[in-house]
Amino acid sequence: MMDVGRHPNINLLTYSEVEKISGYVGNFHALIRRKAKYVNETECTACGDCTEICPVIVPDEFQQGMSSRKAIYIPFPQAVPSSYLIDMTNCLGTNPIACGKCAEKCEKKCIDYDAKDEIIEVDAGIVIVATGMDVFDPTPVDEYGYTNFENVVTSMEFERLISAGGPSDGHFFRPTDRKRPKTVGFIQCVGSRTEKCGNPYCSNICCMNTIKDTLLLKDHYPDIEAKVFYIDIRAFGKGFEDLFNRSKAAGVQYIRGVPGEITENQSTRNLNITVEDTTSNRLEKYEFDMLVLSVGVMPRWDMPQVQQLLTLSKTPDGFFMEAHPKLKPVDAPTTGVYFAGCAEAPKDVKDSVTQASAAAARAETMLSAGEVTLEAITSTIDLETCRFCGMCAKVCPYNAIKVDPKKKTLEYIEALCKGCGTCGAECRFGSITMKHFTDNQIYSQIDAHLTVNPQERTIVFACNWCSYAGADTCGGARLQYPPNQRLIRTMCSGRVDEKWVLYAFRKGAPMVVVSGCHYVDCHYIDANRWTQKRVEKLWDKLEKWGIRPERLLLEWISAAEGKRFQKAMQDIEELRKTVTQEEIEHTMKVLTEEEEKAKAKKK
Amino acid sequence: MEEKDFKCLRCGAINKYPFEKGVMMERQCPKCGSNSIRLVKEKKTDQAKKEG
Repeated sequence: MMDVGRHPNINLLTYSEVEKISGYVGNFHALIRRKAKYVNETECTACGDCTEICPVIVPDEFQQGMSSRKAIYIPFPQAVPSSYLIDMTNCLGTNPIACGKCAEKCEKKCIDYDAKDEIIEVDAGIVIVATGMDVFDPTPVDEYGYTNFENVVTSMEFERLISAGGPSDGHFFRPTDRKRPKTVGFIQCVGSRTEKCGNPYCSNICCMNTIKDTLLLKDHYPDIEAKVFYIDIRAFGKGFEDLFNRSKAAGVQYIRGVPGEITENQSTRNLNITVEDTTSNRLEKYEFDMLVLSVGVMPRWDMPQVQQLLTLSKTPDGFFMEAHPKLKPVDAPTTGVYFAGCAEAPKDVKDSVTQASAAAARAETMLSAGEVTLEAITSTIDLETCRFCGMCAKVCPYNAIKVDPKKKTLEYIEALCKGCGTCGAECRFGSITMKHFTDNQIYSQIDAHLTVNPQERTIVFACNWCSYAGADTCGGARLQYPPNQRLIRTMCSGRVDEKWVLYAFRKGAPMVVVSGCHYVDCHYIDANRWTQKRVEKLWDKLEKWGIRPERLLLEWISAAEGKRFQKAMQDIEELRKTVTQEEIEHTMKVLTEEEEKAKAKKK
Repeated sequence: MEEKDFKCLRCGAINKYPFEKGVMMERQCPKCGSNSIRLVKEKKTDQAKKEG
């Protein structure tokens, strides 16, 4: 942190919030609110005279509320820059000045009660999102009696209690009697791997954190008896297993089982727990002087705001989703945005540093190149035929299109376009063309597939990244699927236009399949949600026209699901066999009539 | 979340799935694995009968 603060090429803005980011790769423009600290940070020497005289005492957030701080304070000892700031929500008041003692005491006259928030504008080529995470708070669900029993603490509170810089100066004690406990129990997976708390994922860091804590405890106080209650110990990193073995060798007992009931002995304030040891299948009871809840990590509370600022997507766990889990693990789906640390997923310090280094290297590569090469699959918009309805802007996952229907203006930033083609599929006026996936190109493919024996063909629209790759996996694994199914590749299933489906039916296709990525795998943030909406509308339309909706199917198939692709295609072939020649002819007739009606309406 | 009847267009199985108006979600048929899951719409006469 000190190195960052002193680096000549790094402008560190602490106590600041990003309010708005506009632009795109190479041309980001950010508005940052630099909050008033009311203390001149360049002049402040952190002598501490102001904090000594300040009469306001509030709980210290850094010490988990176990000690206090003043209204004028340094957030934590290693803070950079090392200067004080005034917490105005707790200060007695500066307008009018109710106390003013800190300003009187400050010899260097660093305190300015009239300081105001500043808005700073920053131009940037790349954005790295390193917004961190929050720690699970066991209070709302009252996990393991945390709100009722004082001697039940979280792992964060334990850290402060045993730290030399903590509220007890490193003299470890339990909260009720401030005496050193003789027995300490650790409970794992609190707020992790549980649907009850809404966090079904593994928090990644808690097992090793507990192992480290037990070693610290045994190192400082070898006589303390420590037991760890766990579901699994996940010691998968370099040297982690060794650390786990050292903890066991130091006398820490590991019991596989999560306590079901915790009660408190009213006289001793000790905690009694009942647990089923799943290795011995026995119900066991233990008594502890103190219990430590190993709390998991959670997405930061302000993630929705950051998500909105940068048009990012999230995984079901609530963390930011990378562009590709294996091939682009530090890239956001938006070009020029990278992730570092727990904003993307829970990870330890080593993994965070690795990802941050990778993000910095990715940023450096792009910045030093000086230009960005885009794939030639972006959309083009014909402003002469555009009616400025704004549907394209509504469906674009990257906010590449901005439409003002009142002023009849459209702004399209091609550098933001990733080529999903959803805008093209949604445009009712044919004003949007996606390069290499134009309507005419697709119609030609449909025509070619249905030239001979159309009644035996199934047209399958498959997205490039998942379904088409799933078909490849199927073929690569020598899994047979009916040879009369014809695949038409699009970049995203969101590109599949209603017109294409109806065209295929009009040309005599008995079955049409629209296939794309599973929701979580969508390579274009959420473009495939629009695919589903479109298909659902089409089912209604087909039914209205007397055409069986079962003839249009929607399938999500990932690149790894070759077997699933095979099964889907085999089932669909059985369904195709049920479509009669009369049904196909009726469909062709109805859809031709509907098309003529639509043409007449246009005229 | 409210649950409604949905029909699988591949195998015809009818199952209950969570449903919230305006919220898109991935649904998969437990029988055949298809994602062609269509909301079973109540006919107006059925609705009127329910309402008495």
